[in-house]
Parts: sequence; C-alpha cells; structure tokens
Amino acid sequence: MKKMNKVIALLLATFMVVSLAACGGKDKSSSGSSDSGSKKGSDTLTVAIWDTNQESGIKEILADFTADTGIKTDVQVTPWAQYWTMLEASATGGSLPDVCWMHANEIAKYAESGMLLDLDDAIAEQGLDMTKYPSGIVDLYQNPDGAQVAIPKDIDTIALWYNKTMFDEAGVSYPDDTWTWDTFREAAKKLTKADGSQYGTAFTISENQQTYYNIIYDFGGYVINDEKTKSGWDDPKTIEAMDFVADMIKDGSFPPYTTVSETDQAALFQSGKTAMLPQGSWMVTAMLENEYVHDNCDIAVMPSHDGTNKSIFNGLGWAAAKDSKNAENAAKLVTYLGTEAAQKKQADLGVTMSAYEDTSEGFISKDTEKNIQAYIDMQDDIVMYPYSKDTIAWNDMSIEELVKAWQDPAIMADTCKKIAAQMNDDLAAE
Amino acid sequence: MAHNKVENNNTKNANGHKKSMWSIHNRGEMIWGWIFVLPTILGLVILNIIPIIQTIYQSFFKTGAFGRGNIFVGLENYQKMFGESEIWQSLLNTVIYTIIEVPLSIFIALVLAVLLNRKMKGISVYRTIFFMPMVAAPAAIAMVWRWLYNSDFGLINQFIKLIGGTPLNYISNPNTAIFWVAVVGIWSVIGYNMVLFISGLQEIPNDYYEASSIDGAGPIRQFFSITIPLISPTMFFVTVTRVIAAMQIFDVIYMMIDRTNAALPKVQSLVYLFYKYAFVQNNRGYGAAIIVLLLVIIMIITAIQNYAQKKWVTYN
Repeated sequence: MKKMNKVIALLLATFMVVSLAACGGKDKSSSGSSDSGSKKGSDTLTVAIWDTNQESGIKEILADFTADTGIKTDVQVTPWAQYWTMLEASATGGSLPDVCWMHANEIAKYAESGMLLDLDDAIAEQGLDMTKYPSGIVDLYQNPDGAQVAIPKDIDTIALWYNKTMFDEAGVSYPDDTWTWDTFREAAKKLTKADGSQYGTAFTISENQQTYYNIIYDFGGYVINDEKTKSGWDDPKTIEAMDFVADMIKDGSFPPYTTVSETDQAALFQSGKTAMLPQGSWMVTAMLENEYVHDNCDIAVMPSHDGTNKSIFNGLGWAAAKDSKNAENAAKLVTYLGTEAAQKKQADLGVTMSAYEDTSEGFISKDTEKNIQAYIDMQDDIVMYPYSKDTIAWNDMSIEELVKAWQDPAIMADTCKKIAAQMNDDLAAE
Repeated sequence: MAHNKVENNNTKNANGHKKSMWSIHNRGEMIWGWIFVLPTILGLVILNIIPIIQTIYQSFFKTGAFGRGNIFVGLENYQKMFGESEIWQSLLNTVIYTIIEVPLSIFIALVLAVLLNRKMKGISVYRTIFFMPMVAAPAAIAMVWRWLYNSDFGLINQFIKLIGGTPLNYISNPNTAIFWVAVVGIWSVIGYNMVLFISGLQEIPNDYYEASSIDGAGPIRQFFSITIPLISPTMFFVTVTRVIAAMQIFDVIYMMIDRTNAALPKVQSLVYLFYKYAFVQNNRGYGAAIIVLLLVIIMIITAIQNYAQKKWVTYN
C-alpha cells in the first residue's frame, strides 16, 4: 500500500504541474471565438478586439455594415493583457476569429506565418485607395510578399494632459506650443510638493509610446533604424534624451519608484497625485469618463526640443483570418471598415482618430470643452512606433532594464548601452 | 480527500485479491472495475499524460510561431536555462514562498480546526466564513488584495496612518514583497486545509480523550499525544498537496505585481517565468524546459516526503 501511495503522490505531482502547460492554451482558445460563433450560426462573423472603451462605437459601425450587407457580426472583447495569448492559441488551433485587431508588436509573426487573409482583391473591389492612409501604417500591415493583410483602422498620437487646478495653485502657466522639454522639466519641479502629496509627472516604463520614446525622437535619437537591423539605444542623441529623463527623476519630480510600481501613470494622474501626463489618443474616452479629470484637467500639445516636436504614432489594423469559413465576408467587412464613411463615423462617434486622410476632425467634438485638437495637431510631425519582426523580445527586455535605471538614474547611460547590445543580438536572431 | 478514497479502494481490492485471485466471479468484477474507472483514465491520458509527454518533447525544440517550424535543438533550452541567474532566483522565490505558505497555513488551519471541531452555536457560519476565500476566484482575490496593499491609496496604509503608524510598501519593496504575496496565499487556503483537518479530527474516537483525561492528561497534552498522531495521515496529505500547489504559485503574483514593479525579480515564480516565455514571448520550447525543471523538483520533494512519512505519520 505504501508503494501505491508513492506512485499516486508522484503521479499527482506530475499531473498538476504539467497540465498547467497544456491548459493554458486550451482554456484560452475555448473562450475565444469558435464556441459562441457556432451557436449564433456559422455565417455570423466573429470580431475580436481588446478595448472596452471602443466597444460600443465599434458595434454601432458594425450595425451599419449589417444593415448594408445583411452579414451579422459578433464582437468579443478580450483585455490587452490576454488578447495576444488568446489570439495565438486560437491561431495555433486553427480557429482564429474571422476578423481581429492587429498591432505593430505582433503583426509580423501573423503575416509571415500566413495566418491572415490577403486583402488585395477585396481592396480593389471595395475601391479603397491605400495612399489615403499614413504610409507607415500601410507598410506595417503588408506581408513579406507585399500583399496587404490588414486595413489601417486608426491613428494614434500623443498629447499632454495637465491638471489646471494644480497649475493655478503653483502659479505655473499652462502648457502650449511654445513649451520645450526644459520648460516641462522646470514646471514639473514647481508642481512637485515637498511633502510627497503631489508630483510633477510620472512615466510608467512600459508606456514607452506615450512617454520617453517621444523625447528620444525629439532629441534626434532613435530606437531602431529604418532597416530594422540595428538598435538606436546607444545613439548619443538617444542617450542624451534618456539622461534628460534621468535628470527629471533626480530632480524628484517623479514619485518614488515604489509608487509607480504599484500604480500606473494614468491612475496617478486621475487621482490627483501627478500634475502632467503624456497620454495616447486611444485613452481619451477613458480619461474623460473620469470625473476628477473632467473637472480639473485639459490637454495640450507635447513639448518640443530645438524646434522638433514629434509624436510617436501607431495604428491598429483590421485583419481577417485566412482559414475562416467566411473569408469572403470577413474581407468585405475589413475593407468596409477602411472606407472613408466608416472611418469618418469612427472619429465622429469619438471611438478614436481615424487612419483615413482628413476624417478625424469629428473626434474633437467628443468634448468641446477640452482641447482634443491637440491630438490632431500632433499629427503634423509623426514618427512610426518602433517595431521589428519580433518586437516583444527587445521591447520587454528594454523595459526590464529601465526598471533598474528608474530606481538609480545615475546608471541611465550604461543601461541604454546595455539595451542596445542585447537588442542588436535579438535583431540578429530574428 | 480524493487521495484517501483511492487508498481505501486499493485496500479493498488488495483484500479481494488475497481471497481468491483468479476466480471467475472475481474476473468479472475486475472487468467491471476497469469499465468504471475507464472515463477517469481516459481523462487522465488525454488531459494529463499526453500533454506531459508533449511538453517534455517540446522542451528539446526551438519552437516556431503557431506550433509550426519547430527546430530540434537537443539540450540547448536546458543549457540556456541553467546559465540564467533569473531562473535560479525565481526557483529561490518559489521555495521561499512555499516555506512561508505551507507551514503557516497548516498551523493556522489546524488551530482553527481544533477550535471549530465542537458543538457550538453558529458553527457552520464560522466554517463557511473561513472557507469563503477558497470559493472566490483567485484573480478577484488578488485584485482586492492589490488595492488593500497599495502604499498610497490602500486601505491598510490608510488605517496605519489613522492610528499614527508608518505606512509600508507591501508589494513594491523587493525584500518583503514575497512575504506579503504569501500572506494572500495563506489567507486563501486556510479554509480548505481547515475543512480537511476537521474531517480528520472527527475520525478520532472520543474514547481516547475520555480515557486519557481519566489518566490525568490536560487538553494540551491530549493535543500533542492524541490529536497530532491521529491526524498525521490528514496532515501528510495536506502537506503533500499544498507543497505541490505552492510550488506552482502564479495567479496572485501575475495579478498583483506589474512587470515594471521593482520587486518583480524577487517575487516571480518558476510558473510566472514559464508563462512569460511560453505565452508572452512565444518561446514554447524554453517555457517547456522551465516547467520540466519544476516537475522534476516537485517530484523529488514529493518522493522525499513519501520517504519521510514513515518517521512521523501514524496509520491506525
């Protein structure tokens, strides 16, 4: 009996551990599209997105599509943190949602593995003119053969949110297009209270698109070269920009790292702990829904450096699954979503700014009291969000390294060089 | 509990075998026995045994996207793994977590079980309260605790400030974060352990206590000389299963500690790393190697516990 005991205990141990490995994928994929899709009839297109703030607007646009074509859709929202795990698992299992959102971090993997539908014919049929979208986003969503595998959905830029009440109290004038990063730094110092109840600003390291990437490009540095073969983290200009961030940390204008560890930059701003927040246009809805922000805050363009005021931009893409049973309808839907009318409606509904040329004006009417125009103005000088085939690998690595530099700003320059070396290795391995 | 049941069945089978090993009657019984366990066995094979083999197999590959284009790399994943200080640190984190969680949760649960193993008013209410955390979803529990722990806005620090103490950084101080994570683990599992202990306690015949009190033994002497030895099989079961579960800690860490949290390197467990590599960075082969390491470690620990039980577990 003792022997039996041993065997059972060992088996138990084995099952519990390794079933983890198997379950991860299975659980996720079953929550994906296939089940509910079959319940609602196989001709209903499943649409996977990750942003609850956009859900209602997207549904409204999809309703127009259904009215036009009679093709039904079913939107499923999976939060960003789990979205890619879900999508990866369903792609591996051959059950990708018919239509899904794509992002610069992940597109290369899907495009190269031939998971996504070639949309060129559907684009011709719909009569879409691809030159009407920002070329950075159009290029991003092409497979290695040059075929379009996703339609640009939106464009996002970065602008500066600030707390008017705090500015008034500290006697600092509101940010405007004359602001340089030095003005920003001085203001941050003045807006910081010695008792630790209020800080100038805070950068969450993983939010690089909203924060230090913009400073790097304003200073003339870069993160990755155009050929995607070399890291720009050891470029002197990049290091200068990151040292500027390090100086702000040394100034004490950022909250202690323990605070940023536990609460992200947006939550700190929304709870009146910080006075300034560089924030992406995709967050406008969520920001305005916050009562405190609505009552106390406004938006301005980002600060500049030596006359350069660049905004990192990125845009999501609408993609369709290659092995979808409804591939034809899915292609119809994604190209429909790229039409001028649908793109204009997206901006008018305040979902996001739209990728199609000159359709974003309606986005500012979302809240006329706030200077949402700042996001449109930031479109004048834009830099594509740095990406490569396997963005996640070096993106996550750089974040992990910067955590150390945020706690000890003196090592910032060395950290940048370390990131560059590792990133060059990663790029070589792609 | 499942463990106990299996044991009992085995005992019965073993007795049956002794009486008449190959009688026709018995053979029929055996076939029916197999038919009854077939669904379970099928489940185990499909959901556990095949994935185990696949995982071990996968750990020798550099995996491509979507399970395509895997390249055999032999022991490369293992070589890389053993060279990473990150792996050893997270193994240490996992062990520290287990050492904090398992003994404390067993001790507290045992005390509670003894206190609640009697007839009193509202006993089931108390038992339910302690069991409640086990019913709630771990992710929800972690979110609530995360906000309780928040050093700026958290309820605990607000309370400390109110009574004039110094607020603490719970989950962002690399030196102590693992302890506060373990507190959540202990809190969630006490009820489960307690229920098992109560059922163990109720199997102890009252005669022993009566006899010993006639002999002059007080409650404390009774606890150590009667309760502990007689509950040791339950304790053994709880220890083995809790160690296995604690070594696999993931959800609380994943939910409470952001990836930009300075404490993460000192908190992340092996399963956390497995998740990071296998599912976030899509390096399935390397993730598989990490989980095989954990499997081997857990098997060794379990084997040692099985060996050591001879020294302290008393079966009637």
